[in-house]
Amino acid sequence: MSNKLQAKDLINLGLFTVLYFVIGCCVAIPVGFVPIFLPILGALWSLITGIPFMLFLTRVKKFGMVTIMGILSGLLMGLTGMGFWGVPMGVIFGLLGDWILKSGGYKSVRRSLIGYAVFSLWMIGTYIPMYFMVEDSWASFAASFGEEYADKVMAAMPMWSIVLVAAGIFVFAILGGLLGKALLKKHFAKAGIV
Amino acid sequence: MCFEGVSLVIRIDHVTFSYGEENGNTSGVQDINLNIDDGQFIVLCGESGCGKTTITRLINGLIPHYYEGKMSGEVWVNGGKVTERPLYDTAKNVGSVFQNPRSQFFNVDTTSEITFGCENLGQSEQSIRERLERTVQDFRLEKLMGRNIFHLSGGEKQRIACAGVSIMEPDVFVMDEPSSNLDASSILDLRAILAFWKSQGKTIIVSEHRLYYLRGLADRFIYMTAGQIEKDYSAKEFERLTEQQRADMGLRAFILEDLQPPEISPLIGEQMELRNLCFAYKNEPETLHIHEDKIPANRIVGIIGNNGAGKSTFSRCFCGLEKRCGEVIWNGKIYRPKDRLNICYMVMQEVNHQLFTETVLDEILISMEEESREQAEKILAELDLTDFKDRHPMSLSGGQKQRVAIASAIASKRSILFFDEPTSGLDYRHMKEVANVLRQVRDTGITVYVITHDLELILDCCTDIVHFEDGSIIDQFHMNEVGLKKIRNFFLKGVSEA
Amino acid sequence: MNGVSFSATTENRKGILLDPRTKLVLLITITTLMFSTSNEGTMNIIKPCLSLVPFVLILSERRFKTAGKYLLLYAVCFLLERIALTTLSGLFSFIVLAVSSIMTRFAPGIMTGAWMISSTSVSEFIGAMERMHMTEKIVIPMSVIFRFFPTISEEYQAIRDAMKMRGIRFGGKNPLLMAEYRLVPLMVSVVKIGDELSAAALTRGLGAPVKRTNVCQIGFHFQDVIAFLICILCFVLFLFQQQIVF
Repeated sequence: MSNKLQAKDLINLGLFTVLYFVIGCCVAIPVGFVPIFLPILGALWSLITGIPFMLFLTRVKKFGMVTIMGILSGLLMGLTGMGFWGVPMGVIFGLLGDWILKSGGYKSVRRSLIGYAVFSLWMIGTYIPMYFMVEDSWASFAASFGEEYADKVMAAMPMWSIVLVAAGIFVFAILGGLLGKALLKKHFAKAGIV
Repeated sequence: MCFEGVSLVIRIDHVTFSYGEENGNTSGVQDINLNIDDGQFIVLCGESGCGKTTITRLINGLIPHYYEGKMSGEVWVNGGKVTERPLYDTAKNVGSVFQNPRSQFFNVDTTSEITFGCENLGQSEQSIRERLERTVQDFRLEKLMGRNIFHLSGGEKQRIACAGVSIMEPDVFVMDEPSSNLDASSILDLRAILAFWKSQGKTIIVSEHRLYYLRGLADRFIYMTAGQIEKDYSAKEFERLTEQQRADMGLRAFILEDLQPPEISPLIGEQMELRNLCFAYKNEPETLHIHEDKIPANRIVGIIGNNGAGKSTFSRCFCGLEKRCGEVIWNGKIYRPKDRLNICYMVMQEVNHQLFTETVLDEILISMEEESREQAEKILAELDLTDFKDRHPMSLSGGQKQRVAIASAIASKRSILFFDEPTSGLDYRHMKEVANVLRQVRDTGITVYVITHDLELILDCCTDIVHFEDGSIIDQFHMNEVGLKKIRNFFLKGVSEA
Repeated sequence: MNGVSFSATTENRKGILLDPRTKLVLLITITTLMFSTSNEGTMNIIKPCLSLVPFVLILSERRFKTAGKYLLLYAVCFLLERIALTTLSGLFSFIVLAVSSIMTRFAPGIMTGAWMISSTSVSEFIGAMERMHMTEKIVIPMSVIFRFFPTISEEYQAIRDAMKMRGIRFGGKNPLLMAEYRLVPLMVSVVKIGDELSAAALTRGLGAPVKRTNVCQIGFHFQDVIAFLICILCFVLFLFQQQIVF
């Protein structure tokens, strides 16, 4: 079998991206209405989408599929008005994910969990505009409340907290991956889908 | 193309194929030899799993290019080797229509769906437009252009699918059970399309369970069993078989006029009263308007009517899936929608949606008020499911899944069961099996309503018919002599007047 | 399930007709400028103006209710943001500020996105992507994605009905079990539909190594030029806001 992506692979890509995105949105939309929960949104997203992603991996045998999924997810985020930062992030973390999976021959369980967790970091792209915003607000905040107060606010959501967000996504993605693997064994393998 | 002086279009030469592990449920074929002349109309028939679908896949190249497995032998179409040509080359010569109208369209709007094939092959915009115009005329699709496919009925979807293949002007048409999900009048539309292709001199291969609508069109019937061609009938020879002979071969009825119902004594039994079952979907006009009516209870009642007549809206309302929709009075008790959710159960056409757990036994246990393994085993035994109790429900065949859904309904002590097209795409033996299960269910005192387009099923087990049109019950009758005439008329001409 | 569905077809179209590429540029302009700039100087004028764009577009489709709701939401949040910045203080003001500034920044983008999706047919969108010479590796999965949004919502509805019929005790309060009962049948049927779809698409020549034709009629008109000019103007003002002094 050739290593080029064929029409069949591209259809599978579309199929699993839409499952990935819709299932993620089912969690994100109700939670996203409460701004306080925004920092954990990415983590929740990657927890639940571990299920479709692990099923997706059973059909990924070629390099590039995870990258394209990253780009597509970024585009979808953009189309729903969340900004297009997800696209470049999708390329970066998709390529890394692809590379990790390939190094495990698309078979290693451990590599597929890590690959998924790394891929999930594309979600950082959706946080980038919020950090721009925090920075901006800080400036105007400082102007009207004084620097001391504004610094307190920054302490609650400092720039380096993006690292925490990323770590949350990563850890929950590993958990989500395990959840996906468990369901794969419990249902999809027995149902003859895999 | 010519082979040995005859105008042969398709040649299948000593082909043996077995599916890989992934498709363990589907059986392959052994040593198939088949020659098809230009312009012939071939019907592939036989029981489920006899390999007729595999033959269609050999011709359109999905085997070996999409479905992987072990293959030997060669397939030629128009002088080219399908086995060696890439699929997009075969696509120019062979057009395919499949069983499920929901899963074979790629676009969301009808116009792009029809032009999809030509666009893929990179034909010029000008020529595609001309072809589109011609196809729309040929198939009388003016009213369906520029529409959202998700809002079309199954029959309309299938017509779009045929048009999308026809526009590519292939020499060969391959259809895999195209009538499975269609109602009586859509099947007549499908017949008209086939007749049109035949009049153009196209070669047509149809793999099918339903045979009656192919009568008078088909030139050859190829009967298969266990992956081999058992017999090759000419249309004349096939016509001469008796219905009983065909039934023994596991085939569905060919001549509907000859079908006879078994002797049944019409039960004059109880009735259910319906009050104010009126319903409109959000932002749409009312589709169901039953103000006051009575329908039979405690029997197997067939519900007939063409698509859009309101049958499925009725069943949804009756089962209580739509809130605030009328009352049902039975045995002196008034059931509101919420009460009906607890006494009714609908076995859907797509049973996949209804099964949730990891084993068949769990599926039954979870439905019970109080889990009782003993009781569950008893229900499973009644429905012939004991052997499968530890299997994953999704790994079962369609008929088995259906029985699991029925078993879960019995376990949750429902007294009214609705069936939505329980025999679509089933062969003779499986249809009989369903009929038997329905009778069994009724014998336990459960009222059964069957929405169906299957005349054979109706004749086999229904004692009463309710006929829907435009959201109302326009007729109901017992299956006596007059009723029999009415039902035949409905299926043969689309009307039910005696 | 959600409003994301390119189900619009060419029938009964109202309002300002724009090329999908123009819509995309509008969306990019709005999402980029709304997020990444502060509330000072020229941007204080540009941002409210940009946020009026989706309002005008929706209004032109005569969807007065939606347009009105959006305008009201935006106006309230906009005012709250100003009030919180100038007159309020303490934790309360911080919360008000957080909520209102997130709203003012996200709402215009989301509305424009929603408008774009509801006013474009899938084939127009695909046609636009093909004209922008996007690779097939993106275009084909994208069309599959748009085709599957309505499928998923249909399948999900059927599963919800089935669960309703099985009774409320089904699945209980365990969130993992609830997710499992919903997701497993959904994924099984979507994957099955996908496999059948692949087979059907391949027999119709998908994947042929030729350039796909697209008969969808899209193109730029006068109103597209106006929209482009607006976008360019906003970007220019944004980039040179330091230089411009009022």
